[in-house]
Amino acid sequence: MSASKSRDVTLVEAVNMALAWEMEHDESVVVLGEDIATNGGVFRATAGLKDRFGFKRVMDTPLAENLIAGTAIGMATQGLKPVAEFQFMGFIYSAMEQIVSHASRMRNRTRGRLHCPLVYRAPFGGGIHAPEHHSESTEALFAHIPGLRVVIPSSPQRAYGLLLAAIRNPDPVIFLEPKRIYRAVTQSVENNGDALPLDTCFTLREGSDLTLISWGASIMETLEAADLLAEQSVSCEVIDVGTISPLDRETLLCSVTKTGRAVIVHEACRNGGVSAEIAASIAEGAYLELKAPVIRVTGYDTVMPYYRNEQAYLPQVEDIVEAAKRVIAL
Amino acid sequence: MKHFKLPDLGEGLPEAEIVEWHVKVGDTVAVDQVLVSVETAKAIVEVPSPEAGTVAKLFGEPGDIIHTGEPLMAYEGEGDDSGTVVGELKKDDSETRTDTFIIGAAESSKRARANRSSVRTRSLPKAEPLRGTRRTMAKNMAASHAQVVPVSIFEDVDVGDWKSGTDITMRLVQGIAAACETSPVMNSWFDGESLSRRLKDEVHVGIAVDTPEGLFVPVLRDVNHRTMVDLRKGLKNLREAVATRKIPPAEMQGATITLSNFGTMTGQYANPIVSPPQVAIVGAGAIREKVVPYHGKPAVRRILPLSITFDHRAVTGGEASRFLGALIAALEAA
Repeated sequence: MSASKSRDVTLVEAVNMALAWEMEHDESVVVLGEDIATNGGVFRATAGLKDRFGFKRVMDTPLAENLIAGTAIGMATQGLKPVAEFQFMGFIYSAMEQIVSHASRMRNRTRGRLHCPLVYRAPFGGGIHAPEHHSESTEALFAHIPGLRVVIPSSPQRAYGLLLAAIRNPDPVIFLEPKRIYRAVTQSVENNGDALPLDTCFTLREGSDLTLISWGASIMETLEAADLLAEQSVSCEVIDVGTISPLDRETLLCSVTKTGRAVIVHEACRNGGVSAEIAASIAEGAYLELKAPVIRVTGYDTVMPYYRNEQAYLPQVEDIVEAAKRVIAL
Repeated sequence: MKHFKLPDLGEGLPEAEIVEWHVKVGDTVAVDQVLVSVETAKAIVEVPSPEAGTVAKLFGEPGDIIHTGEPLMAYEGEGDDSGTVVGELKKDDSETRTDTFIIGAAESSKRARANRSSVRTRSLPKAEPLRGTRRTMAKNMAASHAQVVPVSIFEDVDVGDWKSGTDITMRLVQGIAAACETSPVMNSWFDGESLSRRLKDEVHVGIAVDTPEGLFVPVLRDVNHRTMVDLRKGLKNLREAVATRKIPPAEMQGATITLSNFGTMTGQYANPIVSPPQVAIVGAGAIREKVVPYHGKPAVRRILPLSITFDHRAVTGGEASRFLGALIAALEAA
């Protein structure tokens, strides 16, 4: 195996690369999910793993999300490190009982005797012309549950580093993959097993006038908006939150203390979204540094529409630019 | 195999029925060559080949329904195995990029956070450190407050019989000396650590003087054994020394009891602070005319309000009260 080789990969290929690296280096890592073994997964995230590591470590499951989640918990408490895939985030709700009532609290319930080092992967978000139940972003549901980490990569490099960290984390991690950008960017990623921190935001662009805060696929529109704003002499700092729970408030506060302005962008609907938690944290920690109210650019408080209307639902580049101009004008 | 999926044939029609295949497996096809005729809800549409290649597989027979996005046929060769029939993923059409990002906050952001003013001092002027006598006052007052158990008594003194031009401070100093003979414990030093006291033979009166620089308490020494003339001279010297700020530190040490004559300014009664190891302080307010009973009838008299504070650890209420009585008696004498 030629380790530590740099490869040009998309985000979904980086997921595959991280899974393969960790399975190669840690025999306790197993993967399971619907059509992930023989078929290689609906998005190819697990392609080739069964051939390489065998059916005992790469398992096809029945179409039963509650079973997938519960089986992973059993494996995790008994010494394995399962990485379970939910085919789409929209299918995850029948597994909530296992995730919320058992995985998240296993360490606490057993007073530390058992823990639950598992990863639940799920593609999430809209924008790929998919049918119902395939497009929503309900990350806030999980961010609200103590005992879960909720991690959302937004580039191949961060997908690789964060997934490795998620697998190595001793407690359950919800790993949400923005499928809209699964293949949108190709990056050169060093396949060296280096993990990224699971509790830290990433500053993608340094700027001084305004902090744009986002995560997941919306990072693409946010970066594009930052480019457009730069042409109009508005210097934007762009922060990829990365891990939405636990939230790295310190990085966000540092940036907003500097810029005095923040626009938070996410695809999920607004009400009770993670942006509300971030806005509240900024108000608590940097109120006196704020020059304008914190503005949110989000999806609407509706069911994610069918695909003909999904672009109307998703935050667009111009929406972010318009919000940025509003806070700059204040 | 490379899959060719049934494209959107317009107007969002979700499906089409295969009418007739125009190619078969193994055929070589050119770009735009018609592959198949399908019937939608609107019309029969001929679907052209998007690329040149060899037909590897046909999905469906005439009469089968194919949904938009489902595989229609396959070309030979290696496909871009996107794997899903659910949705379409945007593909990268640009060159490979390298990812550059900062883990956590940018240095400029960290500096901004570190340098921000704290909530409480924002928009307030910069704090000015206390120096000299003000600093000493702050320390002494805090030390006193931390140790002493203060009790105050207030009383009015009828000074209506005083001759005009009477030096009020002089009278107060003399009165204190006389009162200390009645209640010697008021003229003592008390040690709260060892719970011991030293009764003092001499009465050294600290005289609180207000200055722009702060509170000065020079000491007028041995007031009970000195002549009136001598005391007057001593008091005059102290006042001058304070006014010119030429008083040596030694002149402000060793008081056995203190007088705060705030009556030279405004105010009647106060709770003056006992300065350890002393156990008592006398406060004299501003003299004013008041209607009071005088020999059984209302009369307008000049009244001097007195406050005394004593440390109840060392002095009893009775001792303090008798001290006050003796002081009043000394003052009321013409």
